[in-house]
Amino acid sequence: MPAMNFSTFLMQIADALRGEKGPELAYLLKPIEDHGKSLVKEFRNPTRQSLSYYEGSMESPWDEIAIQYVLVVNHCAKRRAIEAFKEECTLVSLFFRYFTSNTGWTLPALFSILRDLRDLAYDADLEGRQRGQEGTENMEEAARVISRAFTICVTDRQSPKAESRRWGVYYVVGLVLKSYFRVKRISLAKNILRAIEANPDIPALHQYPRSHQVTYRYYIGMLDFLGEEFAKSEQQLTLAFYHCHTGAHRNLVRILTYLIPLRMFRGHFPSRDLLDKFPVLDDLYTPFISAIRKGDIRGFDASLERFERRLVDLNLYLTMERARELCMREIFRRVYVVSQKQSRIPISSFHSGLLLAGDDVSVEEAECLVANMIYKGFVKGYISHEKQTVVLSAKSVPFPPLAERATPYATL
Amino acid sequence: MSAAASSSKPAAEPTAKVAEPLKEDENQPALGVLEEDDEFEEFAVADWDDSQTNLAHLGGTVPGSAKSKGDKLWEDNWDDDDIEDDFSVQLRQELTKKGQGVEPMQH
Repeated sequence: MPAMNFSTFLMQIADALRGEKGPELAYLLKPIEDHGKSLVKEFRNPTRQSLSYYEGSMESPWDEIAIQYVLVVNHCAKRRAIEAFKEECTLVSLFFRYFTSNTGWTLPALFSILRDLRDLAYDADLEGRQRGQEGTENMEEAARVISRAFTICVTDRQSPKAESRRWGVYYVVGLVLKSYFRVKRISLAKNILRAIEANPDIPALHQYPRSHQVTYRYYIGMLDFLGEEFAKSEQQLTLAFYHCHTGAHRNLVRILTYLIPLRMFRGHFPSRDLLDKFPVLDDLYTPFISAIRKGDIRGFDASLERFERRLVDLNLYLTMERARELCMREIFRRVYVVSQKQSRIPISSFHSGLLLAGDDVSVEEAECLVANMIYKGFVKGYISHEKQTVVLSAKSVPFPPLAERATPYATL
Repeated sequence: MSAAASSSKPAAEPTAKVAEPLKEDENQPALGVLEEDDEFEEFAVADWDDSQTNLAHLGGTVPGSAKSKGDKLWEDNWDDDDIEDDFSVQLRQELTKKGQGVEPMQH
């Protein structure tokens, strides 16, 4: 696009509005494009006052939005991130005035300015830190502004369904959640999730574009994971995984980082095919998976120690520590197989298995570990304490396949 | 939505990071994308069909159903009864030595 002056800019906005061209409008409002640079050259040190001349030059609030745009691009060009963010907040608020009384064709523009708002908030917080101000107030403010967009999307009661602003709901919620995760204030997410539940008029999630679905499910899955709602988390992340675009490799890695350990508890292990596609996850999880398959508790503990820092950073350490019981199950299962699947096996045999695997425990501890395995549904049977014997179930498989445990997360 | 419209931060070059050895902590495996202070990325396109997802691997079953039969991405049946690795061999010797491996116990 050739260098654009302000009056051409206004005309192009007017044209996009008249033709209800959402993507064009989105483009015109982006601060990093060439036309923004042209406008920076046109106005030296613009202020709202110096630009007030243009008020009334087109339908409200677009005259003011255009003026705000000039202020934003000017601050961006001068690398004043905090000011740029503040002016973008005003721009977004002005846009809301228009958005409230229009239909879904405006959504591409909404999404675009909200993304820009978030990016500018990030830069503003960074600039704040460089100036010695700790905190994430700009990103939190961005989340508040984006939450207002959510309300305006939800309250569309006039537009025909196909043109409803409600089709923006999940994308906007995704941005809000992203913002809260960025500043590690995820407890704030509850309000917006409650607001979704309180609005049964919102179309079902599966009717939305897949990019909206997958992003939303990823963040809900992460919230569930961090809240130790593992069964729910596994469901959300599974759907996110299967509906994700296969080309979005980095997003798939993020989903699988949490989905793999969750599915392990259900007895679903990633295949070689899957791990080969994601070398980073292969490196991280294969040592654990091999240890579980071999009942190699020593190897499992060594991996846990070796990966400790990474796992802690990813909030995965406790989960992987709990996966140790999958490894122990395999030791006990091998004792059972080597004991020719007898229905009564002395506790001392399980004790021998543990010692051999490198878990240096007493007989009493071994008994306790077996009791624990029975309680958690890994082993079907009971312990005869007097006879120091484990009596295995005759009615059902004594070591049911992991995938058949009814509630794999209940006893984590 | 075009790729250009779905902005957010341009993704950092992952190769630059991998090439640099972790000097302080070489024992920690490099986790590439997971190490970056980065977030779930904007998708390049807004929507796509089943053929561009992993759904085909499910062969028509519901994602997350108990069986992953036919789904080549996950394995759910790997309890092997025919175990001849060192651990099992030693375990058999150990239990036999104690008279617990071969003969059924009398109660």
